[in-house]
This record gives sequence, C-alpha cells and structure tokens, in this order.
Amino acid sequence: MQKLQSTRFSTLIWLILVALTIATFCIGEANLAGKSTMLTLLAIAMIKSQMVANYFMALRQTKVIWRMIMLAYFVIVGGLIALAYLMGLT
Amino acid sequence: MKYKSQAVAKLYFIAAIGLFLGQILFGLIMGLQYVVGDFLFPAIPFNVARMVHTNLLIVWLLFGFMGASYFLIPEESETELFSPKLAIITFWVFLAAGAITVLGYLLVPYASLAKWTGNDLLNTMGREFLEQPLPTKVGIVLVALSWLFNITMTMLKGRKTAISLVLTLGMLGLAVFFLFSFYNPVNLVKDKFYWWWVVHLWVEGVWELILGAMLAFVLIKVTGVDREVVEKWLYVIITMTLVTGIIGTGHHYYWIGTPVYWQWWGSVFSALEPIPFFMMTVFAFNMVNKRRREHPNKAAVLWALGTSVMAFLGAGVWGFLHTLAPVNYYAHGTQLTAAHGHLAFYGAYALVVLTMISYAMPIIRGRAANPERAQIMEMWSFWLMTVSIFFITLFLTGAGIVQIWLQRISTTPMSFMAVQDQISIFYWAREAAGVVFLIGLLLYITSFFVKGESKAFE
Amino acid sequence: MLTQNATINLVELQQVPILKEGENLPGDFALWIFIFAEMLVFGVLFVAYAFTRANNVELFNASQLTLSRTSGAINTLVLITSSYFVVRGVAAIKLGLSKQCADWLMGAFLLGGVFISIKIVEFHAKFAADISMSTNAFYMFYLSLTFFHFMHVLMGMVILASIIVKARRGAYNAQHHTGVETGASFWHMVDFLWIILFPLIYIIR
Repeated sequence: MQKLQSTRFSTLIWLILVALTIATFCIGEANLAGKSTMLTLLAIAMIKSQMVANYFMALRQTKVIWRMIMLAYFVIVGGLIALAYLMGLT
Repeated sequence: MKYKSQAVAKLYFIAAIGLFLGQILFGLIMGLQYVVGDFLFPAIPFNVARMVHTNLLIVWLLFGFMGASYFLIPEESETELFSPKLAIITFWVFLAAGAITVLGYLLVPYASLAKWTGNDLLNTMGREFLEQPLPTKVGIVLVALSWLFNITMTMLKGRKTAISLVLTLGMLGLAVFFLFSFYNPVNLVKDKFYWWWVVHLWVEGVWELILGAMLAFVLIKVTGVDREVVEKWLYVIITMTLVTGIIGTGHHYYWIGTPVYWQWWGSVFSALEPIPFFMMTVFAFNMVNKRRREHPNKAAVLWALGTSVMAFLGAGVWGFLHTLAPVNYYAHGTQLTAAHGHLAFYGAYALVVLTMISYAMPIIRGRAANPERAQIMEMWSFWLMTVSIFFITLFLTGAGIVQIWLQRISTTPMSFMAVQDQISIFYWAREAAGVVFLIGLLLYITSFFVKGESKAFE
Repeated sequence: MLTQNATINLVELQQVPILKEGENLPGDFALWIFIFAEMLVFGVLFVAYAFTRANNVELFNASQLTLSRTSGAINTLVLITSSYFVVRGVAAIKLGLSKQCADWLMGAFLLGGVFISIKIVEFHAKFAADISMSTNAFYMFYLSLTFFHFMHVLMGMVILASIIVKARRGAYNAQHHTGVETGASFWHMVDFLWIILFPLIYIIR
C-alpha cells in the first residue's frame, strides 16, 4: 500500500546534507560576509531543512497541505531573517 | 456510585458552593465600593472585602478540587478510598480553619491579627493572595498533605491511569509550590520573584494539570470515547501546558528588577500559553462529537464544553492581550489584568469544579442524572453566570483600556484616582452584571432542590 | 486475508474522527500539533534574533566570533546522521524488522548523546569565560536558543529510548508502528531546527 523509500535514496539525501553542512562551515571559516554570502547561507539552510522535512519526515507522501505548511514556515522564517539582515546592512 | 467512599465528595462540594456564594457576595460589596467608596465603611473596608473575595475564591476551589478528587480517584483506581475517615476529618479541619481565618479578617485589624498569630516568628503575611496568618498557612500545608496522602495511597492500591497520575502530579505540585509562601525575603525583588512561584505556578502550571485530568475524566464518562484517545490528548496538552506555563512565569518578571532576558522568555513562552487551552477546546468538542453514548446528564456535558471554551477565552485570549512585554509595559496592573483574572478563574477553575459537581452530585445522590426540570434550571444558571461574567470581563476591559490611555499614554497623564472617576460608568455596569451573576448562582443552588422523576442508571 | 482487511477497514471507518487523526501525517496527530507549536516558538525566536541583530550589528558580529564554529558544525553532522539513522529505523519497522529498527534508533540515541556532550563542553567554556544571559543581547539569544534546543534533544532522546525499549519487546510490527513514526517526526524536527540555528547564530554575519 505504501511505497517504501529506498534505502539508497535516503543515503543520497544524507550525503547531500553532509556536503551542504561542510560547505556552510567552509564559508564560515573563510570569514565571508555580506549580502550574497548571507543569502547563500540562508538558502542552504532552508533547502536542508526542507529536505529533512520532505524526505526524512516523509511529508512527500502526505497531503499537499502539510508540505505547504512546512514550506510556508521555511519561506516566512527565512524571508524575515533575510529582511532583518538587509535592514542591518543599511 | 461505584464505591461507597466516593460519597465524602458531597461534603466538600456543599462547602465549595457555600463559599462560592460568599465570594460572590463580597465581590458585589467591593464592586460597589469602587464607585461608592464609603459603602459599609468602617465595618468592611475595601482592602478587607478584596482579601475575603480572593481568599474565598482560592479556598472554595481547593474544596472543589479535593471533593472532585475524592470522587474521581476511587473510580479511576477501581477501589475504595484509602481512608474516608481521614478525608472527613480533613474536611472539618479545613472548613474550621477557613472560617476562623475569614472571621479574623473581618473582625480584627490586620496588624493585630498578624501580631497574635506569630507573624513575628516567621514573617509571611501582608502579601497579596498570601495574606493568611501563619497557623492557617501551616494548616493549608497539612490539609494538602493529608489529601495527597489519601489520594496517593488509594491510587497505589488500585489501577493506575493517566488521569489519576496527572491529577496526583497536579496536587503534588500544588502542595510543593505553596511552600514558597513561607519564604519572604527582605529584598523586594526576590520577594516578588518567589511570590509568583506560588501564584503563577499554581494557576498557570500545576492547577492546569488538575483541570486537564478532571475534564478528561468527565469527558470519558459522558461520551464513552476510548480512554486511549483521551489519554493521548491529555499527555500532549499537559506537556504544552508545562513548557509554556513554567517558562511563561517570565511575563511577571518584566518590570520588577529581574534580568532583561525575562522580557524575551516571558513574551515568547507566555504568548504560546493559549495553545494548550485551544487544544483543550478542540479536544472537548472532538470527544463530544465522537461520543458513543447519549449520557442522560446533559447539564454536565454543557459545563464541560463551557469549561473548555471559557478557559480558552479567559486564560488564553485575555491573557495574551497583555502578555507581550511592550504591551505589558503600559497594561500591567490595570483593570485589564482584573478582566483577565475574572474570566480565567471562572472559565478554567470555577467551571471545571462545577462540571465535576454537576457530573458527580446526581450519582452520589443515587441517580445517573437529575430530573429534566432540575437540569434545565442548571443550564439556565450556566448561561446566566457565563454571560454575566463575560460582560464583567468586557466592562473591565473597557475600563482598563481607558485607564491605560488616560493614565499612561496620554500626553497629559492623569493621576490614578482621577482616572478612577472617569471610568466609574464601567464599574456601575460591572456591578449590574455582577448582580445577574448572583442570580445565576442562586438559581444554580435552587436546582439542587428541584424534585421530579430522576433518570436512573442505564 | 481479504476479509480480514475488510473488517479492519470497517473498524477504521467507524473510528474516523472529526479531526482525521493520523490519517495524513506520519505519526500521531496530537504530537503534530505539538511539533507545529514548537516550530512556532523557534521561528519567533529566530526572527527576534535577526531583528535584534539589525540594531546591534557590530556587537553581534564581534560576539559571534567567540563561538566555536567547529563544534557547531560537528554537531550539525551528528544530528543529520542521527536523523538518517532514524529514517533507517522507520524503514526497518515498516518491513517488520523490530531488532534492526531498535538498533538504528540506538545509533541515533547515541549520536544524541554525542551532541549533548559537545554542547556541554561548549556551554562550560562560555560559563568559564564569565559569559551569561545578561552579558549582552547576542549571548542572551545564543544561550537561550541553544539551551532550549538542548532540552529538546534531551526530550527527543527520552522519546527514542522509550521506543527502543518497546521495539525490543516487539511492540511494533509492519502494520502498527505509529509510535515509531511519531518519535521519528519529533527527532527530525529537532534536527531541522538545528540546521537553521547553526548558520544563523554561528556563521551568518
């Protein structure tokens, strides 16, 4: 009845998450700052969270409404954080 | 009634209703004193009327909680109460101590009362809601311990359910946090800091466990919904309650000399305090919609649903109105607080006790439900009291908003007493609503004496 | 088999509640209300951090440099991996493999322990440097947010532990494993909140 997610697929998601985390860390170590860095880091964080919600929590298999709620959450929280940072720049 | 010993609840319920009546009478007296300052002066000054009004509230609710748990725990544990005799002795001790204390407030100047009761030995008096003389405070602890002991022993020898566990946990918390009423540091900040550990952690923490457990109990009984479903909701609700309620204590720590981070902690967490109340409303209606049987006691169902809605409005919505630090900066200690206090105490605690009484009393009196006429009268009293307290809340909210404006926001702020004159119209309206409330309460009491064909057990 | 399924379906139909509990979301619906509430709290705190920072950019940037990015990054990897283990645990129980499920969850539980240990070392270093919530606005947020999250990891570990015990006893099977999914959902939430928290507090400047 329910499609089981293949183990290989989960492993792939995990590897991508690890890679993105290392990327985030490297940007931090390189001491980068500024508008584009900030937006990149935020985008990475939101994509990672969205991947955990969609694939690990398996919201992919549920009704669209729940995924929309999750997505809306990441967009709103991420958007407001970005807005606050942009205000800090000026 | 499944177990003989459940009958001890009746004594407690009668005392609770009697003291409730007393509370309302003193409420009316002090409500009038807001506008006719020398009413009954010097016999009953405003401060004394207020003390009696608030203390009676606490005491009758405690009587209600105790009575309700003596009814609930044997049924949940499927065994007789550990010691009905102890419950009866405790009752008379508590009633006598309560009566003597109130008489002390009314007949003796507070300062003399303090002197005679050993306040020099351990200084605990003179703080809002914790005005009780030292012997009374000790008495409350002993009564609470005896209650807790009796209930715990009953539970240990019988079936252990989530409901009785949550209820006992709530009572344990009630007893433990009351101990902070004995701690009265000289430092005013510390004094207030720990004072809230009694006041706040009671009503926005452990009492909510008692509320949740009792509501869940009545809902299982009147709807016949699976215990498993009810218990799951109960657990989630109390977890949310504790997380938001305990850290939410911070909303009292904004302006009393405590560190600034409380403004964040208090604002964020207390803003979430409505969630468990909202869940309680969803839960109650959900259970009633999914009911597997039509319980003959319609009145009890009404009280239970009323509890969930009014608790959400009073504690949740009206609490939220002034809980955020930037709003509270202007709103604290105004009539807005009084509005919240009235609706929250009525909606959450007065109603849950009345729900339990409504469910349990007919059973104790040997029938599943009261006669039709008595139930109709009871439902009328529900609507009269609920609507009138809601109007009291609206009038006080209006008074509060005008007060905040004239006293704290306006470019030419007025003094406290000058503002009180400006809002007297709200106080008159509130007093009128209070009279309607009294009528509702009298109707409620009358409903116990209505005769008729009563509903037998199925 | 067919008739059995039909009866089960009938029973389920009769019990379809008003709220459609558990029909859509993995795990128990009541817990999902809790999860959404938790997300709301963290969301508010994240945004509050960002806006407070907007008024104190230099203070925040200077204080941020005192944090250990390395331990933050390691902890992110630890949580992500533990989440992956939980996914494997859920997959195992869906095939009815109780023991494998318990083993994967045990792995996640132990990684939770690693997270906690690293966090304690980090907190200790801050307290040893006399930093507290009253030091400045940045540390107030840093300590509040990480401590609050810390408590969630502990709570998640308690949940995982109870599921592990039940799974070992064989309480779940391929058909009935709502408990496992419920605990898994909570753990993933703890994970993705940290995924946002880490860059926000430790890195973005």
